[in-house]
Amino acid sequence: MTSNSTKVRAGEWAARWADLKYTLYLLRKNPLVMTGSVIAIFFIVLALLANFIVDPNLANPTGYPEFHGQYPFERKFVWNKDSIINWGPGIRLYEGPEQFYLGTDNWGRDLLKMIILAIPVDMENAVIITVAAAVFGTLIGALAGYIGGVIDEVVLRITDIFFAFPALVLALVFAAMIGRSIPTLRLALLLVWWPPYVRLMRGQILGEKEKGYVEALRGLGAGHLRILFRHIMPNSIYPILVQATLDFGGVILTFSALMFLGFSPSPSLPELGNLAAAGYEHIFEAPWLIIFPGLTMLIIALAFNLVGDGLRDVLDPKLRR
Amino acid sequence: MGGQQVKVYEYVIRRLILMIFVLLGVSILVFYLARGFPSGLAPWAPYIDPKMTEEQIQEVIRAHGFDQPILLQYFYWLRDILHGDWGLTGIWAQGRPANEVFLSHFPYTVELSVTAIILTVAIGLPLGIISALKNNKLPDHASRIIALTGYSTPSYWFGFILQLVFFYYFSLWGLPHLPSSGASGMEGAVARVTGMPVLDGLLAGNLEYTIDAIRHLILPAFSLAFISLGFLARIVRASMLEVMRQDYITLARSKGLKERVVIYRHALKNALIPAVTLTGIFFASLLGGAMITEYVFAWPGVGQLSLRAVFQGDSNFLLVYTLMIAAIIVIANLVVDVAYIFLDPRIKY
Repeated sequence: MTSNSTKVRAGEWAARWADLKYTLYLLRKNPLVMTGSVIAIFFIVLALLANFIVDPNLANPTGYPEFHGQYPFERKFVWNKDSIINWGPGIRLYEGPEQFYLGTDNWGRDLLKMIILAIPVDMENAVIITVAAAVFGTLIGALAGYIGGVIDEVVLRITDIFFAFPALVLALVFAAMIGRSIPTLRLALLLVWWPPYVRLMRGQILGEKEKGYVEALRGLGAGHLRILFRHIMPNSIYPILVQATLDFGGVILTFSALMFLGFSPSPSLPELGNLAAAGYEHIFEAPWLIIFPGLTMLIIALAFNLVGDGLRDVLDPKLRR
Repeated sequence: MGGQQVKVYEYVIRRLILMIFVLLGVSILVFYLARGFPSGLAPWAPYIDPKMTEEQIQEVIRAHGFDQPILLQYFYWLRDILHGDWGLTGIWAQGRPANEVFLSHFPYTVELSVTAIILTVAIGLPLGIISALKNNKLPDHASRIIALTGYSTPSYWFGFILQLVFFYYFSLWGLPHLPSSGASGMEGAVARVTGMPVLDGLLAGNLEYTIDAIRHLILPAFSLAFISLGFLARIVRASMLEVMRQDYITLARSKGLKERVVIYRHALKNALIPAVTLTGIFFASLLGGAMITEYVFAWPGVGQLSLRAVFQGDSNFLLVYTLMIAAIIVIANLVVDVAYIFLDPRIKY
C-alpha cells in the first residue's frame, strides 16, 4: 500500500516536472519573456545590493557632514556641464569635482544614487502588497467558491462594492484619513487590490468543484479542507500567479503615484514617486527629476508585465501549442 | 424572443436593485472612512457663518446630527441626501453645495473621457487586429511592446513628458506648440451651455474658441488613451485568436472566401464583443479615475477636484464624488452586460 502510493506520488511529481520543463522551454523560446526576465532579475539583484552600492546615509539631506549642510559649491538642481544631453536654456550647469550622471535634486543629492536607493523601497512595498492581496483574495475566493450559498453571495456583494470604486480614489481617501505612513499606504493598496483575486479564485474553484476527481476524493472520505487546499487550489494556482506578476507593475505604479501626489511620510525619502514629486514644481528647470525616476519605474513595471504576459500565454492551454 | 425579453427585463430590474445595495455599501465605506477620523475640515464648518452666535452654531450641528455618535450620523446624512441636501463644500470650492460643485465640473471630465476613449479605440483596435493576424511575428511583438509599455507607464510621468516636449521644447524650437494646462485659453468667450468647451464653441459657432479647446484637449486625452489602448489591443488580440480557431472560420475559408472577407466580415464581428465590454468599463473608470492626468494638466474636471477634496479633508464632496462615480460604474457595467445579450445571441439569462 505504502510503496504503491509512493510510486503514484513519484509518477505525479515526474509528470509535474516534465510539464514545468516544457513550460520553461516555451518561455525560453519567447524573446520578450527572456528580455523581461533578464531586466526583472537585474532590478531584483540591484534592489538587494542597493544599500551596499550606495551609502544609504546619502539619502539624508544632511548626509554630507563634512560640509555641515553648507556646500562649497552650488549643487541644487544642477546638471553636468560636459553631459551629452542638452536640456536647453535655463538649466544650471555644474562644473565641479563630482560627476552627477543624472543631475541633482533639490537637496543637491545625486539623482542616480537616489534612484538606486529608491529601487529596494519600491520593490519591497510592491512585493508585500501584491503577495498580501493575492493570498488574502485567494483564500476568501476559495472559501466563497467552495462553500457557496449565502457566504458566496455575501462575499460577491462585498467585492461588488469595491469594484464600483475607482481604485485610486479609495486608496487616496483611506490614506488621507488614516495618516501618511508606509504601513497605511500598504493597507490602502491592499484594500484596492484583493477583490480581483477573489473573483479569479472563485471562478477557478467553481470550475474545479464539479470535476470528477473532487467527487472521487469525497467518495474516498477526504475532508473538505484537504480537498480544497491539497487538490483544488494547486490545480487553480497558475492564473493567480499570472495575475500577481501582472499586478506587480501596477502596484509599483500606484504606490509611487500616491507618493507623487503627496502621501509620502517624508519629502526626502528615496522613493521613485517621491523623487519625481520633487521635480513637479521645477519641471522646466530640472526635467531630469521627473524623467529618470519615471523611466526607472516604467522599465521595472514593463519587465514584470512582459514576464506576466508571456506566462499567461504559455500557461493558457488554449494558446499553448 | 418575447420570453427572452421578459427575462432581460427581470435581469435588469434585479441588477438595479442590487445596485442600490452596492451604492449603500460604497456610501457606508466612504462615510466611515471620511467622517470616522479627524479631518482638516469639520463637515459642519461650511454651514457656519462667522456672525452666528454659539446657540445658532449648536442648532446647525444638531439639525444635521453632527452631535450624534458616528454610527447614527450616517442615517442623518442619508436623510439629508434623500432630501437633496448633499452638504456644503469648504472654502476651496467657495462653500457651494457639494452636488452643484460636482455637476459644474463633470462636463469637463466627460469631454476628456470621450476624447480619450475615441483615441483608445482608434489606435488600440487596429493594433489588436494586426497582433492577432501576425501572431508571434514581428508586428505582434511590436504591438505587444506598445501595449505593455502603455500600461507600465506612470500616468503622471507620461503627462509631464508630453508637456515637456509638445509645450516647452516645441516652443523653444519655435514650432507650433500645444498648451500644457487648463481646458480653454479663452474662458468665458462663449456662453456655457453644455459645460464642455469644445461643444460650447461649436454651439456658439465660434471656430477660434473650438480650435483652442481642441488644442487643450489633445495632450491630456492622448496621455489617458496611451495607458488604456494597450489593454484594448491585448483583449482584441486574444479574442481574435480565439475566434480564428472556430470551425465556422475554417468553413468560411474552405468555401473559398477571400481572407479579407473572412477576417473583417466573419471573425472581427464576434471578436469585438469583449472589446465592447472593455471599452464600456474603461469609459466608466475614466469618468472617475482620471485624477492624476487631470492634476498634471490642471484640467478642471471632477478628478482633480476630488484630489483637492482629499487634501482638504472635505468629506461632503468626497461622498458626492464617490457615489456618483460608483453609480456611473455600476450602470456602465449593467449597460455593457445588456448590450452583450443583444450582441451575442448565444448568451441567455
